[in-house]
Amino acid sequence: MFNALQLQTLHAAIDRIIPEDDFPGGVEAGVADYLLRQLGRDLAHLAQDYPRFCDALEAEAQAAHGQAFAALKDEQQDDMLTRVERGEVQADWPLDPAAFFAEFIEHCAEGFYSDPGNGGNRDGVAWRMIGYEVKG
Amino acid sequence: MTHYDAIIVGAGAGGGVAAGVLASAGKRILMLERGPHSEFAQVPRDHLRSQRGSFYGHNAGPDIEGNPRTLEDGSIVLPHQRGYQNNAAMVGGGTRVFGAQAWRFMPQDFRMASIYGVPKGSSLADWPIDYEELEPWYERVEWEIGVSGTESAMTHLPPYRRPYPMPSLPPNTSMRTHLKGLEKLGWQSLPMPQFINSVDYNGRQACIRCQQCVGFACPVEAKNGTHNTTIAAALRSGNCELKPGVMVERIDCDDGGRVRGVNWIDDAGERDSATAEIVIVSAGAVESARLLFNSATKREPNGLGNQSDQVGRHLQGHYYPLAIGLFPERMMDNLGPGGGVATCQFNHDNPDVIGGGMLADDFIVLPIISWKIYVPRDIKRWGLPARQFMRDRYRCLGDIKGPVHEIPSPDGRVTLDSKVRDKFGIPVAHLSGTTHPETVRTASFIYDRAEEWLRASGAEKVWGYRPDLRLSGGQHQAGTCRMGEDPAESVVDPWQRVHGHDNLFVLDGSVHVTNGGFNPVLTIMATSWRAAEHIVEQW
Ligand SMILES: Cc1cc2nc3c(=O)[nH]c(=O)nc-3n(C[C@H](O)[C@H](O)[C@H](O)COP(=O)(O)OP(=O)(O)OC[C@H]3O[C@@H](n4cnc5c(N)ncnc54)[C@H](O)[C@@H]3O)c2cc1C
Ligand code: SF4
Repeated sequence: MFNALQLQTLHAAIDRIIPEDDFPGGVEAGVADYLLRQLGRDLAHLAQDYPRFCDALEAEAQAAHGQAFAALKDEQQDDMLTRVERGEVQADWPLDPAAFFAEFIEHCAEGFYSDPGNGGNRDGVAWRMIGYEVKG
Repeated sequence: MTHYDAIIVGAGAGGGVAAGVLASAGKRILMLERGPHSEFAQVPRDHLRSQRGSFYGHNAGPDIEGNPRTLEDGSIVLPHQRGYQNNAAMVGGGTRVFGAQAWRFMPQDFRMASIYGVPKGSSLADWPIDYEELEPWYERVEWEIGVSGTESAMTHLPPYRRPYPMPSLPPNTSMRTHLKGLEKLGWQSLPMPQFINSVDYNGRQACIRCQQCVGFACPVEAKNGTHNTTIAAALRSGNCELKPGVMVERIDCDDGGRVRGVNWIDDAGERDSATAEIVIVSAGAVESARLLFNSATKREPNGLGNQSDQVGRHLQGHYYPLAIGLFPERMMDNLGPGGGVATCQFNHDNPDVIGGGMLADDFIVLPIISWKIYVPRDIKRWGLPARQFMRDRYRCLGDIKGPVHEIPSPDGRVTLDSKVRDKFGIPVAHLSGTTHPETVRTASFIYDRAEEWLRASGAEKVWGYRPDLRLSGGQHQAGTCRMGEDPAESVVDPWQRVHGHDNLFVLDGSVHVTNGGFNPVLTIMATSWRAAEHIVEQW
């Protein structure tokens, strides 16, 4: 579904949506795993759009900085994502950047905060972070 | 073909009670349920597909494939989508995964038209029975199904004749904080009565206070639904045959109006049928109406019991104003079920609005629901601010919400869409209209009280959701087969027999004339118990 470059871009973007602090960031916590699993089931209708979204982010990075998205500094990535969020893009986007980005944020949060059974939130790390305990 | 004393369609709250009563009276019953008969492990604790957060589906049915309904704008809606008005599809019905709040309606709730008058365009009406009539049945259900509570705190009701069988669960942190708020305001406060074992009861253990109660099955069966009480007893008696995974397609009725039995289709697509002395429809407010429509005869071409065009009308649920507060201290201590302190200060006697509603703090809010619904909209939704809000403040969020007594409209209704069919080929329910607009005013008044309570409890910031005009139903669906003396204005008589049919009954939320300012299931069980005992007495 994703080529190596697209996957690299996806991972970089996920880690800016859910960056690490004293707890792991999105990718380490399983958000990409969640997303890939969902693209084969409930989000199958986005299986083509997600790689396109990654290509567009990459094109945007090349247009603005002449570099791969994943190679940009955190602040540069954040600035770019902020522009995408506002729909202020330079490259040619095959999908609505702001609308897709809004969905992307929700999917990342689902992978992070929902139950580990959904493929993300590895070992319940997000729940430990916020103090939600599951007993019984 | 096998002949039974009674066939019950739907193994939910009303049907489950009916099965228990009839089986213990020695009647031979066939109980048909479209959903499965699931153990705890088969009701996933999936935070994206639960009856509480149905982002991609449900853990207690119905399947999102093959069970569509249609809306007024012509669109097809699936069970987990907005506007479908889903409850559950499983043995136990809604009670398999409910929040277990066990509220009696107030005496005034049965007399809404007399007290408030009938707003233009609404179908507000009095019930044909009153609180006093239902009281012994409330008590019966509280003891037989098992409710924990504190009767002396229920000062909004006439004194109880018999206490609750179990004491209330001890309060958690959020309850203690909200109790202080109520004290400060001088409003009534009470521990919420719950279908939860606070101590070992009826051969099942006490609640272990887990964090996944509402929307999920209970890991220790301390939550009392019909699946582990009346249905379990009916099955033990040997008088009840339960067939899960079958969809009743049609009630078979002769030209004289006498019901002969029912036809169903199983998950493999096989058709079958059985006959019985009586048929009890307990499919929930939307599906009971749909089944009556789909059972039309030459004599009643618009559906059984629908000579006066009343079936499917007055669909009600509850508008649910939700106010959220951010507290300086932690509110969440992981002690389930979570919610537990309530006030009935505003169910009636409010200035300028009709009726009102109970308010209470809510169950433990799942992290992903907190993210999607509770995080304040002025927090940036990605990057460190979003994550750190959840990290530092998830446990500092509190909420107050409650079910508002709806003012019904005859136009808020279920009809049949004969062009769209479910996976069995059966015409589906079409939903149209809205609740009467007066409901919005009441809900708005109640929302303001919720904010007031949160501030008094010490919230530093308060925001929330004030309901807009819409059609209601959902988990609290009711009203589509109104109970009444006059066949011109109702579908069933006060004993829940369908007008014009000696041996056809409706025992579920459909019969509610109005739906109270409370979660409805105790009332559904009480009316069903009363009607089922009457069926047995009259046999
Ligand atoms: C998550 C959740 C929390 C809730 N919390 C509370 C609470 O705290 N307090 C409260 O008072 N209420 C609560 N409720 C609501 C409560 O569960 C319902 O009010 C109650 O279950 C309705 O009872 P009923 O008998 O009308 O229908 P149901 O319980 O819905 O039963 C109807 C049954 O009929 C079956 N059926 C439908 N059509 C057919 C057919 N054609 N053939 C065969 N079977 C059929 C359905 O699958 C279903 O199992 C909650 C509900 C949910 C889902
Ligand atoms: S809080 Fe947990 S253990 Fe207690 S009744 Fe609810 S589901 Fe059962």
